[in-house]
Amino acid sequence: MATNDMVIEAEGLGRRYRSVLALSDIDIEIGVGEIVGLVGPDGAGKTTLLQLFAAILDPSEGRCQVLGHDTVNEAAQITSKIGYMAQGFTLYDRLTVAENLSFAAKIRGVPGGDYMARRRRLLDMAGLTPFLDRREGALSGGMRKKLALCANLIHEPPLLLLDEPGLGVDPLSRRELWQILDDFRSEGATIVLSTSYMDEADRCDRVAFLDRGRLMALGRPDELRAQAKGLVHSIVSDRPAEAEAALHGMAGVLGIQWRADSVRFVMKPGADISQDEKARMDALGQLALAEPGMEDVFTILRGDESVPGEAETAVATRPAARAATGKTGEIATKGLTRRFGDFVAVGDVTLTIAPGEIFGLLGANGAGKTTLIRMLCGLLPPSSGSATVAGVEVTSDQGQLRQRIGYMSQRFSLYPDLTVGENLSFFASAYGLSRRDAREAIGWAVEMTGLGGQHGEMVARLSGAVRQRVALGCSILHRPAALFLDEPTSGVDPLARFRFWRLIRILAEGGMTVLVTTHNLEEAAYCHRLGLMDMGRMIAIGDLSALRAHFPGRELATAEDVFLAFMERERARPQSERAAS
Amino acid sequence: MKLSRIFAIVEIETKEIVRDPVTVAVALLIPLVMLFLFGYAISFDVDNVAMGVLDHDRSAESRALVDRFLASGYFAMAESYQSAIEAETALQRGAVTLALIIPPGFADQLAGGEPAPVQALVDGTFSATANLVAAYANAIITGFGVQTAPPIEVAARVWYNPALRSVNFVVPGLFGVILMAFPPLLTALAITREKETGSIQQIFASPVTPVEFLSGKLIPYGLIAFLQIVMVIAVGFLWFAVPLKGSLGLLFGVGMIYVFTTVGIGLLVSTITSSQLVAMLLTLILSLMPSFLFSGFLFPIFTMPYVLQLYTRLFPAQYFVDFSRGVVLKGAGLAELWPSVLLLLTYTLVIFALAVWRFKKKVA
Repeated sequence: MATNDMVIEAEGLGRRYRSVLALSDIDIEIGVGEIVGLVGPDGAGKTTLLQLFAAILDPSEGRCQVLGHDTVNEAAQITSKIGYMAQGFTLYDRLTVAENLSFAAKIRGVPGGDYMARRRRLLDMAGLTPFLDRREGALSGGMRKKLALCANLIHEPPLLLLDEPGLGVDPLSRRELWQILDDFRSEGATIVLSTSYMDEADRCDRVAFLDRGRLMALGRPDELRAQAKGLVHSIVSDRPAEAEAALHGMAGVLGIQWRADSVRFVMKPGADISQDEKARMDALGQLALAEPGMEDVFTILRGDESVPGEAETAVATRPAARAATGKTGEIATKGLTRRFGDFVAVGDVTLTIAPGEIFGLLGANGAGKTTLIRMLCGLLPPSSGSATVAGVEVTSDQGQLRQRIGYMSQRFSLYPDLTVGENLSFFASAYGLSRRDAREAIGWAVEMTGLGGQHGEMVARLSGAVRQRVALGCSILHRPAALFLDEPTSGVDPLARFRFWRLIRILAEGGMTVLVTTHNLEEAAYCHRLGLMDMGRMIAIGDLSALRAHFPGRELATAEDVFLAFMERERARPQSERAAS
Repeated sequence: MKLSRIFAIVEIETKEIVRDPVTVAVALLIPLVMLFLFGYAISFDVDNVAMGVLDHDRSAESRALVDRFLASGYFAMAESYQSAIEAETALQRGAVTLALIIPPGFADQLAGGEPAPVQALVDGTFSATANLVAAYANAIITGFGVQTAPPIEVAARVWYNPALRSVNFVVPGLFGVILMAFPPLLTALAITREKETGSIQQIFASPVTPVEFLSGKLIPYGLIAFLQIVMVIAVGFLWFAVPLKGSLGLLFGVGMIYVFTTVGIGLLVSTITSSQLVAMLLTLILSLMPSFLFSGFLFPIFTMPYVLQLYTRLFPAQYFVDFSRGVVLKGAGLAELWPSVLLLLTYTLVIFALAVWRFKKKVA
């Protein structure tokens, strides 16, 4: 046994589910007071590893000691001490905030006096004090996550295991989550968490990259980024599409990221940019080395996997494949409002989105984004105001509207027990495509989304990232003029995200209007314009630099900083003024 | 094992139940609906049986025989016929259950002291009723011919249910069946729901032990089930006027044990299933169906093939049905019924032990 200050010691740890090896050969030691982030694509084994640490899953190979106890023989000692927050919402939704907390305290034997003091402190930090008597199920997603964290901290555990704590949580709530974590860590606790947000990975002391059940890398974020130094380049160009096309043909390119004013790309370690290629790129714009981020580290560790499929590359450059819909997908609203009783879910939104534009809708959980999308899709009638989508009044002809729009909801509405092909065929017939048109459309959508060869796979067995592309394929089969995407990339790893956004851009270049919501503000860079929503109102519209200009003299580096600045300003305004405007 | 943790689980489970009015309504109303439906619908009593008469004799004696049938109270005159064909079609249509055919010369033969043949045709489609109808008809006809007292007089007395009311027999049996119908289902769903929402993972990663968790679930659902048994027993005695010969306290006491048996079955099912749908189906197959078929509630067990009789012993409903009928109808006490009580107690403990053994604090 190693020194006593190790909280977790795993040796050759692995877990098999029947014939599938979910995790194998994991060696890791985690010391007191560390924050360790687990990062990796879907199905890499992050959840399995956390469950093994929590002693609620027995390993099929290797062994693991947590807090000095063996996870198999002394599981009870481990589970009685730690805090473990599973993915999803795992509190009791019919119980109130206070009741959920009190239950957590009672089963862990927290004395009454300590309980009240800790509850006050935790709820204050989480901003949940005003909601003590509200049922958990009636809270927003961000609040539910914060409450779950509080429930796991009420016994002040020496080790906290968190499975995707930031999933589906808006940036504001996410920041509060992290404030609680930092505070807690400063008192000497150890934290292990899985995440698909690279900015969260950056905040960890050490990051563990998992891929297909194996530990690919483990180190401090700056160490990992240092490994990528010299491999990340950017071309600042006013013709980013051409720059990207040039990069696609180049050998040794691992990943390409498209930004508003530049194209970033990562080279394979050891690969060089030839003189010709350099000259070609210099002609397009300014080529320079870029500071590597965690996403770039991720790209390099994933290796060859990260290059988009050849079919996709081909399709991207073939003009015929670009979605010529023949209709213009302009979205225009005027004073669009939706009330539920006294509650204004969407208030007085006036907005015009041009054909071929990618418009990103940002806002906290419950800001009204989904309600707005549902109105534009004709799924929910507006209380007042008007909206026209692709030339159709949303309140008029539903049938015609449906033909012109595509909608992909938060929980990809696919049939898990059907194959990819069967799902596509079903949606084609649901859109009323003739058999011949359907075959053609499916062929196009499959090629577009890079699903070739996965026709016969059962959707239930696909990873989240592939499922997301199937869902996209299903929603564009009828070549809609306007496409609505509600948190399409939630919980998807960075590479799958790049790939997804590339598709979106290709569709937009073909003339499709795209309205997308996201909590991942790194993705704001992929949008032409952004709309910030708060409490049902559109508080700002514009591209990132225009939004930044609202705060002259302030250093707002990232989209997240800009977003939080707007939110702070809104929160600072008196309630009466906000209600009146 | 810590009582405070069990109480914490009892507390949240109770709150969850109370805040779901639909579940509460279903749990309390459906047993009553079931009791009323079965109490009224299931009857083995034979009265007002529709009979048809084909009287070829048309004599004072033949009319007296028919009157004897009607006066018995078991039969009601529905039709009279002119020909054997008519009588036959009436049976076929199901218009009558009994067709009485009196041949010509019936009165003369009786007067002459000769045996007078009479034909009684009984619709035998439903065998239990047919047997009774044939037996009643036979008794009436035999008694009609004999004027003198028979040499041996049988003094038959029906004990325990002298009025032979079906409801007296059905309702005490229903106590056992109704408790098998809902408590196991509610309990099984309560735990599988936690598996589906993932909230059970919070329990796994906590000091709560399997015994504590299962006890915490058992108690609130046991109480609901006890409430059901109180309601059902009260309605049985007050509304259906089933006589209570034995001790009410004993009935409730053993009812309490039985309640934990039924809830325990739900717990056991929930430890081996992971979705609410599967749990529901499995519970129906393990609890509701055998309680109807193999408890002796409707179908007597002693008439079943021996191997099947052994099989029925696996299901606890029959011990409680035996016990409940013994207390309610026979006025029996523990002195006579202790084997059933002991079996129920053992059954409950075994089920709970199995559930605890099966319940692992592991996600897979």
